[in-house]
Amino acid sequence: MSQQRMALWAAEALDEDLQDVDLSLAIGNYGQSGMYDDVQPPQIDEGTLVAMQQHMAQQAAFAQIPDVVKRFIVHFHQAVLDNNLAEITVAYESGWNRLTEKYYAKTEWPEAEIIAPLVNDDQIFLILYRELYYRHVYSRLQPNIDDRFHSYENSCELFNYLLNSDGPVPLDLPEQWLWDIIDEFIYQFQSFCVWRSKIKSKSDDELTMLADAGQVWSSYSVLNVLYSLIQKSKINENIVALQEGKSPEEIAEIVGEYGVRPLYRMLGYFSIIGLLRVHVLLGDFTLALKVMENVELNQKAPFTRVTACHVATYYYVGFCYIMLRRYPDAIRSFVTILNFILRMRQYHTRSYQYDQISKTADRMYALFAICNVLSPSRLDDNISNIVKERYSEQLSKMSSRNSEEAIPAFEELFLYACPKFMSANPPPYDDPAALSVLLAAEPQPDPARRHLGLFLADVKAQAPVPTLRSFLKLYTSLDAKKLANFLDADEESMVQQMMAMKVATRSVSRVGNETGLLEGTTISTSDLNFVINENMVHIAESTVGRRYAGWFIRNTEHAQRVYDGLRNSPLPSAPQKPSQQPTTSATDSLAAPLSAGGLKSGGPKVAWGGVKVGA
Amino acid sequence: MASTTSSWIKPSTRTDLIENLVSGVDRYNPSNVGILEDYLYHQIRSQEYDCLANLAILKLYQFNPELYNPDVVVNILIKALTASPFPDFNLCISLLDERTPSTNLDEPDPLPSLLPVLTSLHALLQQCKFPMFWSTYHSDDLETLRDNYTVECVGFEDAIREVAVRAVKAAFTKIGSERLGSYLDLQGSELEAYVSRLGWSLGSSKNVISIPSNPDNQIESTVVQESIKLPQLVKVISHAAQA
Repeated sequence: MSQQRMALWAAEALDEDLQDVDLSLAIGNYGQSGMYDDVQPPQIDEGTLVAMQQHMAQQAAFAQIPDVVKRFIVHFHQAVLDNNLAEITVAYESGWNRLTEKYYAKTEWPEAEIIAPLVNDDQIFLILYRELYYRHVYSRLQPNIDDRFHSYENSCELFNYLLNSDGPVPLDLPEQWLWDIIDEFIYQFQSFCVWRSKIKSKSDDELTMLADAGQVWSSYSVLNVLYSLIQKSKINENIVALQEGKSPEEIAEIVGEYGVRPLYRMLGYFSIIGLLRVHVLLGDFTLALKVMENVELNQKAPFTRVTACHVATYYYVGFCYIMLRRYPDAIRSFVTILNFILRMRQYHTRSYQYDQISKTADRMYALFAICNVLSPSRLDDNISNIVKERYSEQLSKMSSRNSEEAIPAFEELFLYACPKFMSANPPPYDDPAALSVLLAAEPQPDPARRHLGLFLADVKAQAPVPTLRSFLKLYTSLDAKKLANFLDADEESMVQQMMAMKVATRSVSRVGNETGLLEGTTISTSDLNFVINENMVHIAESTVGRRYAGWFIRNTEHAQRVYDGLRNSPLPSAPQKPSQQPTTSATDSLAAPLSAGGLKSGGPKVAWGGVKVGA
Repeated sequence: MASTTSSWIKPSTRTDLIENLVSGVDRYNPSNVGILEDYLYHQIRSQEYDCLANLAILKLYQFNPELYNPDVVVNILIKALTASPFPDFNLCISLLDERTPSTNLDEPDPLPSLLPVLTSLHALLQQCKFPMFWSTYHSDDLETLRDNYTVECVGFEDAIREVAVRAVKAAFTKIGSERLGSYLDLQGSELEAYVSRLGWSLGSSKNVISIPSNPDNQIESTVVQESIKLPQLVKVISHAAQA
């Protein structure tokens, strides 16, 4: 199987397709020379032979496709041709997944070449089909090196079509799908980089292909796509114009022929979020937040329309804040989205994205636990209680005064919850000597470990804080010598620890209406404050009264919803009436308010993963 | 401590040319690395600092390993040290991907031996162990760093003193002059001159220095009561109005 596909790939004029990737794209063609030069076209005879074999194999494969799948593909194709968003959504969110469960849970969908006759060889549809095909391979099966190269090639074809056609393309796709296209593109990039960096387990064929990989899944090529979509759609200009309150006509003028089309607008928007993610994966936390400078983080922002995007945005923003040592901002970010996920959960547990979202949520609970140890806050009791329940063991270890106990706990949670970091560049596959040096290296370089080390350095600088705090809480003033005695330390090192504690209880944080995500003001994050007057330590403690409002407001709103629901229900029909008529009408009208009334007031307005048509 | 990050995001000394590189897509163009490197050396000479522009250099090195210039990296890290307790140093290290040892440099790469040194200096600053910072910094082991790098960086030692000053200012109302001297690596008349430049007052006995009050060295016990804002109640009230 893989041999046959290898031949297919070699027979196509791959090199041209790949070099076409970033025609006139945003950030230029840096370092893209000399790729795929050495893919030799196969000998003619062999080529003909292969083509014939392929033809026969394709016919056999075509015959094996179940009729229902064929009908689905024809129908899906028609929906795309008609730009019928509702039909596309049904096919995309429901049909594809149902048929996957039924026929392709453990195998690939039929290859695009095989189903081509069903769709009149419509190349655009086949690109979209391959997008789904490879996504399925990545999520359900193990992609081999051919899959990885081909999925890159197909992404490039798709983006080429979108960006380099004559003018905007007349295609409409559901927002969910548009997000998934960007999300999957970055996922496959990250998956490739991680796989590529593991040099020990590569076969000879793989080594050869990787040595010649050129721009395949290079950082530049991926960034090029994202920046091009942003520029083509003029999405940043669009957001700014919206914020300035410009009229729709003025905005249309500003964003031009591409930006007015929902397809480009949303792709541009999602590309900003995609950039946020790529920059985090590459360890550039400031740039990650900088590209988001026009995006407002609130519940009305367009990214909230696709739940997966909404969740990802807050996860990556929160993580950036951790690495910028802005724990209060990180906590706020996680609390916002975790509460949102809790509220949405009841409606969406069956969504096909639910697993992914709940995994991200679990990671954010872990990150919240870390932040809350480093910068305790009482921002949200609801989330803290869940975290206390879930990570009680790690929480007590992390707050331990014994760093041999604390550090491994931080390490465990960080490695579990951090993004899948990657190296920007491949190992030197094209230089066997350098590669063998690297092969011998122990331990193998691991970007996640590097970031962990930096994070732990911050943690270690804060290590004396819990001990100091427990003593300071007992006094309003005490002699520095006495405190040093308690700590079993000399006075000078105690004073240095106190200064470090002061630093640790200050943090840059957004306090209100800052424009960019990087903006912020220094705030105090601790309820315990102190000052040293030569040899005396003075301590003042602020007490924060218990917060009741949130709880009462939530419950009042809930009570109102229940009350509305009850009031909208019909009175129960009297049981002694024998007639059929009232009973049916009672059940009918009982069902209606439960679904409509229950959701309408105060209920979330965003569907899990966008539109729920025909679920 | 700076009360806002805006001068960090965009220092007033940043030119339009650099601003375009930092904020636009031209930051990815390897042929611009020279402009940014020149700007770094300008910062080294004239006591300016622009973290985001320096991160842009490291980004170009990350994507184009052939551009890598270890001297530039060391200078960037030295500059970032002086920003402590802000996380600049770690943000720079985050962008230094693992390098394969066989890079074709004319001279041996100084970074692998200097990186642990700089990292330990940074840790000392983070932990406010200023006397140990100075003794480490002046030790024979660090001669390479001093003679080849920090000597070129105008005002490096004063910038480190600023780090100590920020920490002292936040934690003390009065501090013994001997102690402060050990944090600033200054004694006698030098210390007095430095202290008076800061506007701090030396007591009559010259043993104790008073530090003017600032938001961080004033303490007060407070009770924070919950304050409920109208927008929180909008749903409840509007519902009541409808009912």
